[in-house]
Formats: sequence, C-alpha cells, structure tokens
Amino acid sequence: MKRKSIILALFLFLVIAFVGCNNANEKVTIEFWHNYSASDGQITVLETLIAEFEEDNPNIEVNHVFMEWSALKNSVTLGASTGVLPDVLRGDIAFVPQFQSLNVLLAISEFDDYETQAAKVLASANSSNIMGDDYYGLAANTNTKILFYNEDLLEAADVDVPESLDELWAALPVLKSDSVIGMVEPWTGIWNVGPYIWSEGGEVLSPDNTTAEGYINSQIVVDVIQTLADLYQAGELAGPSMDPGATGDTDGWASELYAFELDGPWRAASNTAAGINYGAIPLPEGSEGSISVLGGENFMQFKNSSTEEQVAAWKFIKFMTDEHAQVEMAKVGQMPVNLEALENAEAVTAMPLLPVFQEALLTARARPVIPQWSQVEDIIATKVAEAITGTKTVQVALDEAAAAIDELLGD
Amino acid sequence: MKTKNYRLRSLLFEIFKYTVTILGLLIMIIPMYYMIISALKDNATTFIYPPNLFPRLSLLDFRNFIYILENTIFFRYLWNTLIVAFISVIMSAVFSSLLAYAFARLHIPGKKVIFAVIISIMLVPGLALIVPQFELASMFKLTNKLSGVILFYTAWTIPFSTFLLKGYIEDNISKELDESIYVDGGSPFTVYRHIIIPMASPSIAAVSILNFLFPFEELGWSQAILKSDEIRTLPVAISMFFRAHSQTDWGYVFAMTTMAMIPVVIFYLLLQKYFVTGLSSGSIKG
Amino acid sequence: MFIMSFFDWNIGFQQSSPYIGLENYIDVLTDPIAKRAIVNTFVYAIVTVPLQMIFGLAVALLINGIKKFGIIFRLGYYLPVITSWVVVALLFRYIFANTGLMNYFLVDVLKIVDGPVSWLSSRWSALASAMLLGIWKGIGWNMIIFLAALQAVPRNLYEAADVDGANRFQKFFYITLPSIKGTITFALVMLAIGAFNTYTPIAILTGGNPMHQTEVVLTWMYFQTFDALNMGYSAALSMIVTAIIMIITVFLFGITRRKKVA
Repeated sequence: MKRKSIILALFLFLVIAFVGCNNANEKVTIEFWHNYSASDGQITVLETLIAEFEEDNPNIEVNHVFMEWSALKNSVTLGASTGVLPDVLRGDIAFVPQFQSLNVLLAISEFDDYETQAAKVLASANSSNIMGDDYYGLAANTNTKILFYNEDLLEAADVDVPESLDELWAALPVLKSDSVIGMVEPWTGIWNVGPYIWSEGGEVLSPDNTTAEGYINSQIVVDVIQTLADLYQAGELAGPSMDPGATGDTDGWASELYAFELDGPWRAASNTAAGINYGAIPLPEGSEGSISVLGGENFMQFKNSSTEEQVAAWKFIKFMTDEHAQVEMAKVGQMPVNLEALENAEAVTAMPLLPVFQEALLTARARPVIPQWSQVEDIIATKVAEAITGTKTVQVALDEAAAAIDELLGD
Repeated sequence: MKTKNYRLRSLLFEIFKYTVTILGLLIMIIPMYYMIISALKDNATTFIYPPNLFPRLSLLDFRNFIYILENTIFFRYLWNTLIVAFISVIMSAVFSSLLAYAFARLHIPGKKVIFAVIISIMLVPGLALIVPQFELASMFKLTNKLSGVILFYTAWTIPFSTFLLKGYIEDNISKELDESIYVDGGSPFTVYRHIIIPMASPSIAAVSILNFLFPFEELGWSQAILKSDEIRTLPVAISMFFRAHSQTDWGYVFAMTTMAMIPVVIFYLLLQKYFVTGLSSGSIKG
Repeated sequence: MFIMSFFDWNIGFQQSSPYIGLENYIDVLTDPIAKRAIVNTFVYAIVTVPLQMIFGLAVALLINGIKKFGIIFRLGYYLPVITSWVVVALLFRYIFANTGLMNYFLVDVLKIVDGPVSWLSSRWSALASAMLLGIWKGIGWNMIIFLAALQAVPRNLYEAADVDGANRFQKFFYITLPSIKGTITFALVMLAIGAFNTYTPIAILTGGNPMHQTEVVLTWMYFQTFDALNMGYSAALSMIVTAIIMIITVFLFGITRRKKVA
C-alpha cells in the first residue's frame, strides 16, 4: 500500500511540475486559429500582417495557429465543453451553423460598429453568418466554383469551350481516351452537385429548410443525377470519393489526366504551379441560368473569451477585412470580400481570374445555413453516390435521401 | 554414404531457407523502397504511369529533403518527438516495473481485481476516450503542452508494459533471491532495486522499444492536444504538412517520412539485442 | 463514457444533456451502417489475425535457423512495424490506386488482367487492400514475438528428438508448437484487440467510402463523434465494441486454460 501512495505522490508531483504557471501581463494575447495554406505563401503574408497589426496596437499580441480543415473543426468540437478554444478563428463558412449548435460562438453583431464593417464586405458572402437575428461571424474570404479546363487537352480533342451545361456533358465522351478522362468531381455533396441541380432549376430543400420531400427527389434533380450517372458509368466522369483508387483531382490535373473541373480559386494556384495551360469560365448555363455554389471562410469569435480578448479579437477581424489586408491576401490566392479590395488594381493583377469569379459570384448560392447541415450533406453525398455508381436507381436513391433528411429535420 | 546424403540435403535446405527468407524480405521492403525512391524523385514524375521503379541515378537528388529542411522546422518536430518519447519511455518503465513488481510479489488485498481493471483498460478503443480525456487534460491545463502528451502516453503504455513485465518477473526471477534479501533485513524496495531492476532489464528494454515507437506513431491524441506549430510532434507535423499543401506534394511527404524513420531505426538497432531476449520468457506465455 | 452512452450527450458549451436511457444503444443496433461496420471489422480481424501469425511464425522459424545476416533480416522484416500507420497507409493507397503499382504489375508485367482494377471502389476489394496492409505491417511484430518464444524452447528437447530420429515436421508439431502455445494465445489476444482498433488504414485508404461501405467500427465512431456530433451514439458504440473485445479475450484465454488442465 505504501508503494501505491509513493506512486500517487510522484504522479501528482509530475502533474504539478508540468502544468507550470502562466504569467499574465498587461498585454492582451489573442489566439487565432486558421487554415491559411502554407504552400501558397499565405502564412508568410499572415505573419507580416500580424506584425503590422501589432505595431498599430502595441497592447495586443496575436498568436496564430495553423490547423488543416478537419483538425480545425475537430479541435473546436473537442474544446467546446471545456472552453479550450481560440479567441478568433478563420474557417469554412459551413462551420458557422455547426459551431453555433455547440453554443460556442459569440454574436458579434452586438459590437457597435459591426454594421459599419459589414457594409464594407460583400453582402452575399456575409449572409453565411446569419443565424436567427444575429450574425455569428464576418466574411473573411469568399469563393465560388468556376469551370476550369485544360486548353491543351481540349485542343487535342478538337473540343470548344462549352457554352451550356448540355454542351459540357456532350464534350466529355469526345475527350475520353486512354490517357484522358473528361471531368473530375471529387465528392458528391451539394458543394459538388448543387450547381448542376440549381442551374437546371432544381432545389435541395424547401425554401424554409424544413423538408426535402418533393425537392431532392424531384424530376429535375433525378434527371441531373441520371446524366452524371451515365457519364460516370461510361468512364467519362471520374469520382475519387466513389472510387478512392481514382487519381485525386490535384494529381490528375498535374498529370494532364482531367480536362474539366468545377472548382475554386485554389485550382488556379495549383495549375499554375504544375505548369498547366488552363482557362476558366463561369459554370455554363443550364435551363435556369448559371448558378454556382458559394464557398469561403468567415472570421468567428468565441463566447468564453474575456471581454478584453473579445474586443481585441474584433479589432483584429476589422484589420483583416479592411482593404490593405485583403489585397495582400489576394496576392497569394485568397479572394477578397472587401468591396474596395475587389476593385483594387493590384488584387486584379495578382488574380487574373478575379473578374470570372466576380461574375460567378453574382448568381452563386449559399448552402442552407442550418445546424444539421453536415449530416444532411452526408446523407445526400451517400445517396447521390449510390445513384451515380448504379448501386440503386436514381429515383430510389433520392427518395431514400428525402426520407432520411426529413427524419433528421423532424427531430 | 548416409552422412553424405544427409549433408547434401541439409545444404539444400539451407539454400532453400535463405532463398525464401530473402524473397520474403524483398516483398516486405518493396513498399519502403518505393517510398524512398519517390522521395528522391522530382514531384512531377511521381504520377507517371507506368511507375518507374528503377529510375536512372541522374534522376535522383536530395531536393525534396532540402526543401523540407528549409521550409519546415523539422528538427524542432524531431526534438519534440524525442523528448516525448524519452520521458514517456522512462516514466512508463519506472511505473510499470513498480506495478509489475507489486502485482507479481507483494501481498495486496484485491490485487487480482485491480490488475484485471488495469488490463481491461487495454480493451477500450483509444479513440472512444479522446473526448473525456480531453476534458480531463483541459481541467489540468495540459492542452497545448508537450506534458499533456507525455503524461497521457505514459498512462496509455503502462497497462501493456505492466502486463509483460509482470509475466517476466514471475517466470524468470526466482523468489529465493527476494527471500535472501529479506533475510538480510532488506525491504521490498531493496528487492526492487537490487534484484528486480537488474534482472528484469532485458524485458524493460524490450518494452521500452515498443513504447519508444508510440510517439512516432500516435496521431489522434497528439493532434487534439498540440496546437502550436513549434510543439508539434512528427506525426502531427506530417499529417498537417500533407494536408496543408493544396497540391499533395508526394515527394516532400515521402522525404519527410523517410527522415522521420531514421531515429526509430537507430533506436531499434541499438536495443535490438535486448529485444528478443527481453520478450523471450514466460511473460508472453499467457 | 459509460455514463455518456445513456444520454443525448451535448458536447457544447454549457449545454444540458437529457437522459435517454437505452435509446443510443437502440440507435446503434438498428443502424445498418453500424452493423456493416461491425461486420467489416470482424472480417478484418478474422482474416488478418491468423495470417499475420502464420507468416510471422514462418519468418521467425526461418530466421531462427539462420546464422548469418540475422540482423539484416530482423531489421528488414521489422521495418514496416516501425513505420507509422499514416505513412504506410498513404503508401498503400498509392500502390492500390487505379494507376498504382499493383495494377501495373497485374496488367503490364504479369498480364493477368486486361484493364486496371479499381481496388478501392468496392467494399470487398477495398477491404482486401486494407487487410493486405494490416498483414504486411503485422508480420514483423509477430516475427519478433515468436522469435523470442522460439529461443526459449529448451534445446535438449530437440536433441532428444534427434536421438529418436524425428524429422523436421515432427519436431515442429510435437515440440515447437506446444512450447509456444502461450505465445500464440498472447499474440491472438493482442492482435484481436488491435484489429478491433483499426482506424488509420481505413481512414486513409478509403475514408469509409464509397457510401460508408468500407466503414469499420472506429472510423464510424469517429464520424459520429466529430461530424455528426452524436457523442451518446459513439459512446454506446464503443461500449458495445469493448464488450465484444472482452468476450473474445475471455473466450481465447478460456480455451487455452482448459487445454492446460487437460
């Protein structure tokens, strides 16, 4: 028994020794979690910006922490109940509803000057922060997906740049060869199939987001998915999520395997890096126009920070969404939300595709902002994949999706 | 005549044995070879089909390795991992040998039950414990500190180590030695220091090799705890690195993983002679 | 965690968690994906555990009889063990990709099949790839364990057998196997626990795709915890898995105990 208590004492001693102590000084230190990409030099730019910010605000210190996308999401989930959270976070717009359901986000529209700052950014991008009557974030960067094409592959197959969705689908069989697959779609969620559905006039959920029955399984959606299924089964459309052995989109672009992909600004960066001769246009029109999907990142703040930290974090957010910081980030591939930055000559030179994205943004749609969204999208991704791979007929798969989503929303 | 035939047969058997072993070895190391070759190649050539298994030497260089050393704080990650590994290995060795000794020799009421509880911890899937353990860790302010990883790794490796060491002590160290110490007026602690520690050292070394590997391997917990870049261990750094690069630069990833293997191989080579003897006992005979 | 499994556990900040009795367990047991994940895990365990042991034992027997270069072989076979799961899983995804090494050998070198096989696109072939990875990585560990056991077999038993004129197979079945029976049980239990804790190979090879077909218990648990935020559900699932492992362990130890008595 004696031995036990020795062990226990030793253990406690070690715990205490390791915990150490945190000296609080007058400076406010805020912790900032983000997923700016390291390879494009965004982190270097971020560090310069933080240095400038700290110079302007000598009493604030910003401690930035990089985490990749899923680590960012999981860390907030893990830290939610114990408050091991940052003071400010920059992450996917889809995080807002999920984090809000964890009850960790601060309603930052309560800051007096929120409206002034919000007026400086694209309203469509900022709409992803509204839950109820409050805003739980401020847009940081926006993006949408446009159609990228490999010019050399199109030329080799004598295919013109498509002007409508139908022309796009018709081009894929022509492009198909031993070493080329017409198009790649990395996943089957709404992020991926949403633009095709919306552009043909289909819907995912009812306007008030209460039911999927009659929307996700409507004739329009069935037809769109059927088109994709036929292409996939003919080997003209690749889907790495349905066939994890298929070459990933980035690797496939680099090896000139894929000719088309509907994708965001990062594709321009990686294609340039890989030396691919590419072009891009907004999504070609379907019967109801060209409606792409809105992506991007928001800044969020957390409830459990102290008042001083909250104020400091808000200052930092304002700094990051003003023209200067936004232009600097645009130079390394982050699409600005700041209206002045969008017009800024330097930003446009740095991102030649900015006008194409801006055109696409005019009609792009946000995914529904509901707390259960990630589960809804998982159901859709699973069922659409079953339909596309031919495990089930399209109608059956989508009926099942509608039923499963309604059960989830009904809870 | 008979002996000649016998010699021939045993020579044939020797040849057969070596051939099979070498063939098996080849199969085992082809993937490793592929990794190292890919690390030495230019990124753009990684995805060429058909894969080029035997590239000309002129195509190989250390560019990817240099990139990693210049663009990441590789040695910092390595240092962190080594710190975690050494401290948790030592702590685990101390605690588990004490526990193993206590369970093997001392008379503690209900020790079978306590032992069963400790062992059954091994059965719970580690992932299931991340959420409650994280709450515990943040209660003790251990998040974002290497100590948070060290303490929990120690705690995780103790049951298995205790299990092995207890078996070794029971089977390989005779009780008479203990008794001779007691006769000379020694305490249980004297027995522990002068009998158990020296005699169980091969087994402790073997267990330590297994535990040493752990920080080079574990990802879920370390990723949850270690937030800041400068305190990340190698597995966390590698997984962040390959996801951070919007294009999966396989050459860099493989270069980084190849470098990460070197310390483990060295450690294994240094201790391997204890490895087999330390495990070779009744300890694992159930 | 045991407590969590009876609640609609909310992990959020200052959120309450209502008690819901056995509902989480019912959810798990009626969920087709959970059922599939458990079946996949069982298949994985049943295939990989014995094969790892057989190969590991075979290698150990071979190496045990080898005098020269023993260290090279020991290191070579052990290399996969000391390489992290993340790395080898990435490597295998690469090898089993449609344009990977495996298809290259089958299509262009051996010309066994006509076109590339999509290994990772269907449930069983993707699981087979994962199992191959599991076996490949496990051989070294088994080799070391069995090597240790073989060296503890008393030499005089073999000498006695030589005098009696026993051949290699007789020696193996009548001396070696019975002597290392304890080690076999030990390895069996450890590997079974390990197989039920498989996460990284599946997460990296397929991520549970396509359509949750290749989910194993832990990948599904991870999904429920971090993506669906169903803490109660995943707690219930982990209790069920723990119970399964416990039954298997007791069963395996039980078998050997009885044999000892007999």
